[in-house]
Amino acid sequence: MTRLDTLRGPAAPLDHNARTIAALAVNPGCDRRALLDAAGIDKQRTATHLGYPAPFGQSPFAITRAASFDALVKANGCAHLLRLLRDTLDLSISEASYSDISDVGGSDNHQVRHTRTRALLKRAASDGEGAGTLFDHPLLKLGVAGHQVYLEPAIIAFQIEGRFHVVEIKSFAVIDDQADAGQVAAAARQSAVYVYALRALFASEGLDPDRVSHDVVLVCPKDFANHPTATLLDVRQQLAALDRQLSRLTRIDRILDELPVGITFDIEAQSPDEAAKAVSTVDARFAPECLSSCEMALFCRAEARDSGSTDMLGRTARDELGGVESIPTALGLADDSRLPSPEQTEIAEQLRYVRRIYIEAVA
Amino acid sequence: MGPLILCGTVELDALEKRIAGLRSEIRAAKAAGDHATVRSLRAELRKTERAWDDALEPEPEPAKAPLLPVREQVHQALTLLGVPTAAKMIVTVNEAFFAGHITTSQLTSLRRDEEKSFRTSPYARPYYLCAALTSELLSPARGLLAVSTWPLPSRIIGPLSPRADFLTSATRIAEHIMRLTGAGEDASPSAYRLLTRMAQNIPGAVDGFDQADPAQVIAAAGAELAVHEESDTDERGEAARRAEQQLNEVTRLFGAGLKTARTA
Ligand code: SF4
Repeated sequence: MTRLDTLRGPAAPLDHNARTIAALAVNPGCDRRALLDAAGIDKQRTATHLGYPAPFGQSPFAITRAASFDALVKANGCAHLLRLLRDTLDLSISEASYSDISDVGGSDNHQVRHTRTRALLKRAASDGEGAGTLFDHPLLKLGVAGHQVYLEPAIIAFQIEGRFHVVEIKSFAVIDDQADAGQVAAAARQSAVYVYALRALFASEGLDPDRVSHDVVLVCPKDFANHPTATLLDVRQQLAALDRQLSRLTRIDRILDELPVGITFDIEAQSPDEAAKAVSTVDARFAPECLSSCEMALFCRAEARDSGSTDMLGRTARDELGGVESIPTALGLADDSRLPSPEQTEIAEQLRYVRRIYIEAVA
Repeated sequence: MGPLILCGTVELDALEKRIAGLRSEIRAAKAAGDHATVRSLRAELRKTERAWDDALEPEPEPAKAPLLPVREQVHQALTLLGVPTAAKMIVTVNEAFFAGHITTSQLTSLRRDEEKSFRTSPYARPYYLCAALTSELLSPARGLLAVSTWPLPSRIIGPLSPRADFLTSATRIAEHIMRLTGAGEDASPSAYRLLTRMAQNIPGAVDGFDQADPAQVIAAAGAELAVHEESDTDERGEAARRAEQQLNEVTRLFGAGLKTARTA
């Protein structure tokens, strides 16, 4: 049992998915999220246990709709998908092979499936012609904060003439060739995670990572009918951002080193108060963006509020207030009721200046 | 209480009393271990329940609606298709060609039940609904149903088999429609809809959004099938030989692997 298992308690670990990694990358300064995710802890259940259930979550309707569209695209030997790939990427008729890696001989053990994913993709990449076209549910691994995590395999890896693409099936509609910009952007960020992980797999097998294309095949329902349509999505920008953000994450080992011994986040064994105390020992960096991306958001916001932390004000304001940690301190420096320490003199002067202008303006 | 229910109330009351009576008789017979009586009482109960349904909502019964058991309806659909098939397609074909009414949820435990029955008394039935086997590991292929009497290679799923089987099933459906029209009947509109939907994913099988023409579908599906056939047949044949050597009579039908039940 590893240290991370102890933190989680007896519950089964949750897989990372592209959404969690994209969200993690949005707030790379937060050790709390990094650690909870690395340990595979169910943040939704934890937040609920602490009395701060997440303000969002996919509705059951959306989940059902997504699953049934996914099934439609893949039905009958991926009949729809093959048509789309033949139309958009000129896939030749003879390339129609399909391998499902959602289980290996009835076993859904992660290690087994990952090994099989590696073997199949490696064979497809090195054997050339006819060694595989569609690989459904490939189980990929990704190094996050110095820790290997499995990625929920919600994609198809697809090969055409030696080049590999990620195929992502999404159930938001494309109407008159237009889709909701926010949803496309989110899809691009998530697909980038898979491209990144697939490239990492190639590199570790001694294959050229650039054989994994930055063009992702996005499959969505067209207009209001359920008829699938495909578009190519260039995720180069998202890849670069992801790379930068992942490299900024604190290493999990270091976070673990700083934790008190014997601590656990097991919610079965602890009262909400005890669990809240345990969670609070790991540094968080709350930002308003958390509200739409992290299940712990309401808990962390309350905590930041209680401590008067400048995190509450958002990242820009916090950075501008460099060195001043709480809102009361900032206010105190501004109205001179508090003596600045040597490294605060500059920011104190600015705050006093802003206060003067503000008072003049409202007077 | 509405007038609609009022008119049959007396009859309904009598039936409900009878149903309750039968239920307790069945319980008593069961406790006494009298299986023959249990069986005949059950049949009686089912008949009474049906009468209750009818009394509640008298329906113009389409007298020829088949009351085949689920496994026979599935067998009928699979025999038409001739290839290992997923539950959803089986239900669609059964509806379109045999006016059957099964639901996908009725099929979820079918494979497991058939396996149980085969294990208790092997070959007691003329056929079993069984698994298709993955070519590499000979484990049960996820979500597919097949018939035990088919030649083993056709129950193997290699990488090209999902596509090849899709083309074969489109062909078989088109052929069946032609058989019907040839015999002076016509296929149902939903049969044509199904064929058209399949044809839209086969190059050259249908023009635009028109209704598919069975002959054209057969030609187009055949043309693509010719491309895949050789490697697909080789792979299936090779795996079938391995299965003959390595598997016993149960796993040859229901697949090797640890968790046969879970993937059913
Ligand atoms: S909500 Fe809390 S745990 Fe989640 S990212 Fe924000 S600060 Fe970190």
